[in-house]
Amino acid sequence: MQEERVNRSATLSAPMSLGRRDESRETTVDRERALDRFLAGIERRAFRIACMALRDHAEAEDAVQDAMIRMVRSYGRHPEDQWRPLFYRILRNRITDTQRRQKVRRAVMAWWSGPEADESAPDPLESAVDPRGTPEQELESAELLARIEKVLAALSSRQREVFLLRNFEGLDVAQAAIAMGCSEGSVKTHYFRAMQSLQLALGEWKP
Amino acid sequence: MNDEMRELERRSRAAFDESVESLDAETRSRLARARARALAELRERRAPGPAVWVPVGAAAAALVAAMLWQREESTAPPPDAAFAALEDLDMMAGGEDFEMFHEDEGFYAWAEEQMSDGVG
Repeated sequence: MQEERVNRSATLSAPMSLGRRDESRETTVDRERALDRFLAGIERRAFRIACMALRDHAEAEDAVQDAMIRMVRSYGRHPEDQWRPLFYRILRNRITDTQRRQKVRRAVMAWWSGPEADESAPDPLESAVDPRGTPEQELESAELLARIEKVLAALSSRQREVFLLRNFEGLDVAQAAIAMGCSEGSVKTHYFRAMQSLQLALGEWKP
Repeated sequence: MNDEMRELERRSRAAFDESVESLDAETRSRLARARARALAELRERRAPGPAVWVPVGAAAAALVAAMLWQREESTAPPPDAAFAALEDLDMMAGGEDFEMFHEDEGFYAWAEEQMSDGVG
């Protein structure tokens, strides 16, 4: 993967002595390659984050795919340093839409099947997506992550989002504020509260 | 943030990174395909080109031809306007010298009269 990236960079930095039209085409091709690199670097993390937020493998894949298409379609011409927060803003909106649909679907299903059937419905936390084929030496991390997912599920959506974006995706405060459409102060407050809740819930957890 | 929180931050991030690395091949492949689809759409939007317009033009030409043919079928003898239109197309396609029209003002006036009759 690294080698591939190096090769692509080498192609991008190759000297060009072309006419204006060719230069323009070259710039467009460069941008497409840059978008490809950007999406390739972000898609798996975005998918895991979407999985944690939606707790559904297929829905998470759809959300990431839609976010990619919208990103390319609407923001591909924006400066590259804006891509990450913009992509996560799109993904966040898509996740919120899906969560609303899931809520309505659950309400309809609960009404349709009656209270008895609803009580016997499987706990969505139990069916949460876990990385498959985890080796034994990664069990500790997998356990910690599973517990974090359960705690995150109980947090407010803002706290959960800010934790996923800041800690897992590594966005800084300003980028997270763009992605979440809120102030930087709000990002700091929600993040601190999320960390407090996690610390409280996982405080006794010792591997 | 206290040290305990920072440690929790670090360990949870490491656990997340591991879960990303251990994603199964099938999911990775589907994500790569989704990316390819997104970029393909970008290419399609960037260059609609002749691949899109040629069939549209052909369809429009076929529609015009069908309309003219239907008019010909429904009325006998064929209307002058339809004939005139076909002749105009023929002349334009044949690259005729249109300078001759300027040389004969009488013909020009007659042609205009015929066209207005045909339309009305």
